[in-house]
Amino acid sequence: MNLYREHQLLQTRRHFFGRTATGIGGAALASLINPHLFAATPSTISQQPSAPRGGILGETHFPAKAKRVIYLFMSGAPSQMDLFDYKPKMDELFDTDLPESIRQGQRLTTMTSGQERFPIAPTKFKFAQHGESGAWVSELLPHTASIADDVCFIKSLHTEAINHDPAITYIQTGAQIPGRPSLGAWLSYGLGSMNDDLPNFVVLHSTWTGRKSAQALYERLWGTGWLPSQHAGVSLRSQGDPVLFLSNPPGVTGQSRRQMLDALAELNEKQYEEFGDPEINTRIQQYEMAYRMQTSVPELMDFSDESKETLEMYGPEVSTPGTFSANCLLARRLAERNVQFVQIFIRGWDQHGNLPNDITGQCRDVDQGGAALVKDLKQRGLLDDTLVIWGGEFGRTVYCQGKLTRENYGRDHHPRCFTMWMAGGGIKPGITYGATDEFSYNVTENPVHIHDLNATILNQLGIDHKRLTYRFQGRDFRLTDVHGNVVRDILV
Amino acid sequence: MPNRESLVAWMIGLTLIVPVCSVATAEVDFSREVRPILSNNCFQCHGPDENARTSELRLDTEEGAFADLGGHFAIVAGDLEAGTLLKRVTTEDADQRMPPPDSDYKQLTPEEVDTLRRWIAEGARWEAHWAFVPPVRPNVPDVSDSEWPVNEIDHFTLVKMREHGFGPSPEASKETLIRRVTLDLTGLPPTVAEVEDFLSDDSPDAYETLVDRLLRSPRYGEHMTRYWLDVARYGDTHGLHLDNKRSIWKYRDWLIDAFNDNKPFDQMTVEQIAGDLLPDPDVMQVVATGFNRCNVSTSEGGSIAEECYVRNTVDRVETFSTVYLGLTTGCAVCHDHKFDPLTQREFYGLFAYFNSFDENPLDGNAELHPPIIEVPSAEQTARKEELNAQLAAVKQEIDQTYDSLEYSDPQSDADESSFERKDFIWIDDAVPAGANQQQTGHPWEFVKAPEPVYSGETSTKRTAEGLAQHFFTGATSPLVIGEGDTLFAYVYLDAEIPPKQIMLQFNDGEWEHRAYWGENVIPWGEDGQPSRKRFGDLPAVGEWVRLEVPVAEVGLSPGSQLNGWAFTQHDGTVYWDTAGITTRTPQEGQSFESQRLWELAAGEGKGLPKAVQEALKVTPGERSDEQQRVLRRHFLKNVFPGSREMIQPIAARQDEVQKQLDALNGEIPKTMVAKELAEPKASYFLKRGEYDNRGDEVPRILPAVLPPLPEGAPTNRLGLARWLVDPSHPLTTRVAINRWWQRYFGTGIVKTAEDFGVQGERPSHPELLDWMATEFIRTRWDVKALQKLIVMSATYRQTSQAPTDQWRQDPANRWLARGPRFRMDAEMLRDQALFVSGLLVEKLGGPSVKPYQPLGLWKAVGYTDSNTANFSQDDGEKLYRRSMYTFWKRTSPPPSMATFDAPSREACTVRRARTNTPLQALVLMNDKQYVEASRLFAQRIMNEGGESLDEQLSWAYRTVTSRVPSKQELQVLKQVYSQQLASYESDSDGATALIDSATTLLNPQHLDREKSNDPQLAAMTLLANMLLNLDETVTKG
Repeated sequence: MNLYREHQLLQTRRHFFGRTATGIGGAALASLINPHLFAATPSTISQQPSAPRGGILGETHFPAKAKRVIYLFMSGAPSQMDLFDYKPKMDELFDTDLPESIRQGQRLTTMTSGQERFPIAPTKFKFAQHGESGAWVSELLPHTASIADDVCFIKSLHTEAINHDPAITYIQTGAQIPGRPSLGAWLSYGLGSMNDDLPNFVVLHSTWTGRKSAQALYERLWGTGWLPSQHAGVSLRSQGDPVLFLSNPPGVTGQSRRQMLDALAELNEKQYEEFGDPEINTRIQQYEMAYRMQTSVPELMDFSDESKETLEMYGPEVSTPGTFSANCLLARRLAERNVQFVQIFIRGWDQHGNLPNDITGQCRDVDQGGAALVKDLKQRGLLDDTLVIWGGEFGRTVYCQGKLTRENYGRDHHPRCFTMWMAGGGIKPGITYGATDEFSYNVTENPVHIHDLNATILNQLGIDHKRLTYRFQGRDFRLTDVHGNVVRDILV
Repeated sequence: MPNRESLVAWMIGLTLIVPVCSVATAEVDFSREVRPILSNNCFQCHGPDENARTSELRLDTEEGAFADLGGHFAIVAGDLEAGTLLKRVTTEDADQRMPPPDSDYKQLTPEEVDTLRRWIAEGARWEAHWAFVPPVRPNVPDVSDSEWPVNEIDHFTLVKMREHGFGPSPEASKETLIRRVTLDLTGLPPTVAEVEDFLSDDSPDAYETLVDRLLRSPRYGEHMTRYWLDVARYGDTHGLHLDNKRSIWKYRDWLIDAFNDNKPFDQMTVEQIAGDLLPDPDVMQVVATGFNRCNVSTSEGGSIAEECYVRNTVDRVETFSTVYLGLTTGCAVCHDHKFDPLTQREFYGLFAYFNSFDENPLDGNAELHPPIIEVPSAEQTARKEELNAQLAAVKQEIDQTYDSLEYSDPQSDADESSFERKDFIWIDDAVPAGANQQQTGHPWEFVKAPEPVYSGETSTKRTAEGLAQHFFTGATSPLVIGEGDTLFAYVYLDAEIPPKQIMLQFNDGEWEHRAYWGENVIPWGEDGQPSRKRFGDLPAVGEWVRLEVPVAEVGLSPGSQLNGWAFTQHDGTVYWDTAGITTRTPQEGQSFESQRLWELAAGEGKGLPKAVQEALKVTPGERSDEQQRVLRRHFLKNVFPGSREMIQPIAARQDEVQKQLDALNGEIPKTMVAKELAEPKASYFLKRGEYDNRGDEVPRILPAVLPPLPEGAPTNRLGLARWLVDPSHPLTTRVAINRWWQRYFGTGIVKTAEDFGVQGERPSHPELLDWMATEFIRTRWDVKALQKLIVMSATYRQTSQAPTDQWRQDPANRWLARGPRFRMDAEMLRDQALFVSGLLVEKLGGPSVKPYQPLGLWKAVGYTDSNTANFSQDDGEKLYRRSMYTFWKRTSPPPSMATFDAPSREACTVRRARTNTPLQALVLMNDKQYVEASRLFAQRIMNEGGESLDEQLSWAYRTVTSRVPSKQELQVLKQVYSQQLASYESDSDGATALIDSATTLLNPQHLDREKSNDPQLAAMTLLANMLLNLDETVTKG
C-alpha cells in the first residue's frame, strides 16, 4: 500500500477543481465576520500560472512543457486527403480500382464492404505549399495555411476502431468500450487545478454547417469513468446558463444569496461543532466556490473587453455564441485564466456522400477561428506553454463511397491513417511528421498510434503516461492502457 | 477512490504496520500481509497468466510457490537461506534483482521484505484466498461483559472496535434514528407527525415497530430497486451511437415488486439470470430476464455484427461476474487474469453460457429490440380475451354468410374486350366519404332546382370576386387512376356574370395537377405544365357542359389515387355537378356483376389487400383453393351488389373489433427480455480478445477455483443461476450482503465491493460477513430479514457524533465505533425536496418520466436523427415522480443526478463515488426543481407550520431534519427570514418574480397565495431553499 498516494487521494477529495480546502470552517467563519471578504471577485488573468494543486501526482514527473491544452476536436473524422495529405497521383487514377496490394484485405465498415468496386476519388481541391516549412495545405483552409510554420502536421495517426462511437471513445478514453476516464479527467486527477474560480476541464460545443446529420457525442467523452466525478469536464454552454444552474432564480439578488449563504454557513458550522465530521467544512467551502463562480463565469463569457483587432482576427462569427470561432476565443480566455484543459467539439465531418460541398462549409466553420487561436496565443506569449491540438477520431477512404464524379464523391471511415496538427506546448513548429502511401491508405513512415498521441500529450504536461495510474478492480489502469510511446521526434 | 475510504485504507495500513514494527511477536498473517505483496509485485509475471510467466515459478498457488524448480526452491518453509525468493528481492545484482529494476514495477520496500522474511521463518503457512472458500458459520464472539449488543452483528463489531482501541458510541437520539432508518429503508425522510408518533411511543419495541412499518411500505421496494438499477446498468436508451429510446421499464417494475413482496434472493437471482429457461415460466419470470438485456447496444451504420455480438456478450459476463461473484472477469478477456485464478479459457467458458441469446447483436435502433414480451395487466388480459372472443364470433358470422351465398359468374369467360370504360361518379350530391370540405370564400353551398342542377338533387354554387373555390382532401375511398382514363366534371356558367377562368385541381397527395379554361389569371403551378394546363376557352354559358381532362395531361399516372378535388374559379357565378372518372379501373364502391370482369378490370389490383393482389397475379386456372377463396370473398364483400350490403355491416363490425384489439395491443406494455436459441452457439477462445481471432472452441465451463455445477443442474444459464445460489457457493451471499451493508454504512465490509479477488481489499470484519452470509441462507435468502437484522443492530443505531480524534483515526468509520453519516445520493436528495414540499407524486412503477432539465443538453450531444436528440419535458404529475423513474439517457444522464455522482449506467456500477463540489451547491440552490420545491415548501411552512413565525420556522426545520432547532439555530433562521422579508418588502417585484418563476400552472395548489403576500412567501421561499441546502438536510446522519 502506498501511504503517500492514499493520503494524496484523500486530499484530492478535499478539492473541487483541485482547490485545497484545509482551512476547516475558517473561510465560512471569516465570511460571517466580514461578508465582504467573500464577496465574489473577478477571476484573475495571469500569464504566470501557479503550479497546479491538488493532483494525485503532487508534482509532475518531469518539468512540464505545456501548462494547458486546447483540443479542437473534429468529430466525425475529417478527410485527410482533402485537407492536408496531398496525393497528386490520385488525379490520374480517377475512378480506377483501389489496388488490392494497398487494401490488403483490411476490414471495412459494412457501409462499403458490400460495394462491388472501390474506385479512387481524387480530391477536387487544390493544394499549395505554405510558409518556410513548405507544408501542403488545401485551398479549403487558407487561414490554417497561414500558421503552417507554427504547426506540426502528423500524417501518420492510426487507430483500430472503424466506427464513430467506438473510435471517438477510444481516442478520448483509451478504450473503445464506455467506462474509462477521459483525457481531461486524467489530467485533472493527476495534476489538480491552477484555477480557483473556474472548472479545471471545460468542454465547448460548436454549431456547424457541414453534414447536417451529425454524429453523436457522449458525455463519457469528457466523463470520469471510475475516477471521482469532480474530474469530469464541465460544459460551458452558449445557451441558457453557461454552467448549469449558475444563475440565481429570478428575484434573488446577489445580496440575498450572500445572506442565505452566511446563515447556511453558520448553521453548518454548528453542525460541525456537534458532529465533528470534516465533510461539513468541505461543504461550506464548496458553497463559497459556487458563489465565486457566479461572478467569474459571466465575466469570462463577456467578450466586451476584447479589442476590435482581436475580434476581427477570429472573423465575423466570433460574435455569435456557440460558433467555433466564438469558442476559440473563449478557449483563449480560459487559457489566460489558467484553465488546464479546454476541449472544443465541432461535429459534421462525417461526409460519406456529397463531401466536396459539406467539407467546404465545415472548413469555413473551423479555419479562421482555429488559426486565430494559435496566432492570438502566440501574440500573448501563451503558445509556448499551451498545447493546441486539431483532429478527429480517424481518417477517410481514398476510394469513393456511393456515386463518383470528378466534382462529387463521398468517403467512408478509414482507421489506417489520418492527419492531426499540434502547435505550441513544446511541439516542434513548422514540421510534418509521418507519411502515408500514395493512396493515403497505409502509413509508410513514423506511425503514430492514438495511444502514442495521448502519451505525448501527457508527456508535454510533465506526466509519464505509464505512471499516472488508478487502481480499479484490482488493476492499475492508465489512459494508454498497456501501450503508448511518446513521439519524441516532434518535441522541441 | 479518493473519498473517505482512502484514509481508512491508510489507517488500516498504519495499524498493520505498527504491530510489525513494535510488536515483533505477532505472527504474520499470510492473507492479509503476504499475499498482497506477492500479488502487487510478482503476479504480473509469476501469477495466473500462463503466457506472461517467463519462468516456471508461479507464486499465486501453494504448489507453485513451493515447487521444485529443478533442484532449487523459491521458498522453503522455515529456512531463510534455502529459498531463492528473498535473495532475488534483495540482491544488489541488477541482473538478478526482482522485480527487474528496468521494469515498470516498483521494488519491494524493506518492510515488505521483512514481512516475507518473518513469514518464511515462521513456517510459510499458506492460505487459500478467503473469498474462494465457502463461508463457515463462525461462533458469535462472547462479549458478555458488555450490555451494548442488541444482536449478533454487535458482538462482531464490538470485538473489532476493541481491537482498534475504540468503544461503541451511545445510541442516537430518537429523532436521528427515525430519520436515519426511514431514509435508509424508504429513501424518504419521516414526516413531523411520524417523528412525533415515534417520540411518544415509549414501548421497548417502538423502534422495531417502526422498522417493521417501514419494511412494509411500498417505498421500500422502490428504494431497494433504485440501488439495483446501477448494478443492472438500467437505462432508458441503448447507450451507444444513436442512443435511441429503449423500453425495459417493466423490468424495473419487476424489481420493485420483487423487493416489496420479499421474494427470496435466490429466486430473484435465478429469475433475473434465467427466468426464461425455467419450466413453464410465467410472464413476470421472463420479464425479470431484462437484467441480461440492460447492456448498452448499437446499430451504428457500418458496425460489424460479430464484433457487436462479442462485445454484448462480454458485457453480460462482466456484469454477471461483478454483480454476483464480485470478480473482475473482464481482465481475462484478452489474457489469463493477472491476479485471480481465472484463465482466459475459463472466461470464454463463462462466455459460452451467455452467448446464445436469440437476438440480433445490432439493436436496429428499435425501442423494443427483440426478443420482447407483452406484459398486460389483469384488466388488459381480460379485455383482450373478450375482444378475441368477439372477433372469433364475428369472423364466424362472416364465414357463415359467405357460405350461405351462392354465386355463379354470368360472364366467367369474359376477356379484355368484354368491357369498356365507363363513367364512375365520385362527386354528385355529396362529397366522397372522409372528405374534409374546405373553401376559399364562403362555405360549400349545395343548391336545388330551380337553380341549375345537372343530376340528382343538388349542384354546388359559388359566386366570386377574384379567386374562390371549394375543395376537399382526405377522401377515404380514393379515386383510382387507370391508363388512358379521363377525369370529368359538369359545369354551368351563369350567363349574367360568367367567370374569367375556371379550374379543376386534383390532389394525389399534392395539388400539382391543374386543368383550366378561359383566361390565365390564377397563378398556381407552372403554366403549360401538368401543374397548370389550359384545356380551352370558357365553355358556353347558361347550359351544362361536360369538361374532360385526360389524366396524363395533368401528370397523373396509372395507379395513383386522388383523395381531393377542387372546383376553382376567378370571378363570376359557377355551378358544378357530377364529377368523376371515365375508366375501366374498378373504383372502391363500384359494382360488378361478373367476378371475372372485375378481375380483368382490377388488373394488378393496386391498392387492394396484398392477398388479393397476389391471387390476381395468378392465371385463373392455376389459382390455389385459398387464392380462389380470397378473390371470391373480396368480390362478394366489396364488389358484387347482390352481397356486399349483406357482408359489409358485419365486416365493419369485424374492423371495429380489430381496431379495438390493435389499440389494446398498442397499450399493453412490452419489454425486452432474454430468450435462448434452440441450439446453443459455439463459443471460441478469442485470441487477445479479438472477435475475429478465433482459437479453439470452448464449451460451457466454470472457473476451476469455484465449485462445480450442482448435481443435476443443466449446462445453461439456468444451471449457472442455480449454481450461484447453491448454499455452498463462496461468493454470492457475501457479495450481495456486502453491497447492502455498504449502503447503510457508506463502505462495505469489503471496501472494494466490485472486487473480492486477491487484489480486492480484505474484509474489515470477515467473521461478521461470513456469519451474515450463513444467516442469509439459514433464513432462506430473506432479504427483508437481512435488512432488519442490520438496522436493528446497536452498531447501526449509534450516534454519528464523535470526538475529533475518532474522526481523525477512523474517518470512514471502518471500525464502526459511531453511526453512519454521509451525504445522500442524488435521487434521495431530489425525492426529499419533493417530499417535504408536498410535490412528490407517489405512484408505483410505470414508464420513465422527464422532469425539468435545462434545455439543449441532449441536442448538444445527440445524433441529429436520434429519437432522443431533443428533450421534451413532461408535464403534470410526471414532473414530481420519484427520481428512480427519471428517464435515463445514457449519453447525457439527467444533470442534477450526474452532478451528485449518479453513474451514466453505461456499465455496471456497484459503488458510487461521493464527491462534494460547488456544482452540487448550484443544483440545490438554483435548479428549477429545487426552487419550485422551496416555494411549495415555503407555502407549507406558512400553512401548516403554526401561527407564529417561531412555530413555522421550527416546523420547517423539523420537517427537513426531524429535530427541533436549538434557540441559536432558530435565531439564525429568524434573522435570515427577516433580512429577506425586509428586502422583498422594498422589492415586491423581485418577490413576485421569484414566486412566479417557481409556479407552474400544472397544479392548483401552486396558485394558492391566500395566506400570504408575495414578499412573505418569497422570503420564506429563500429560507426553505436554505434549509434544503443545509448539511444536515443533505446528509443521512
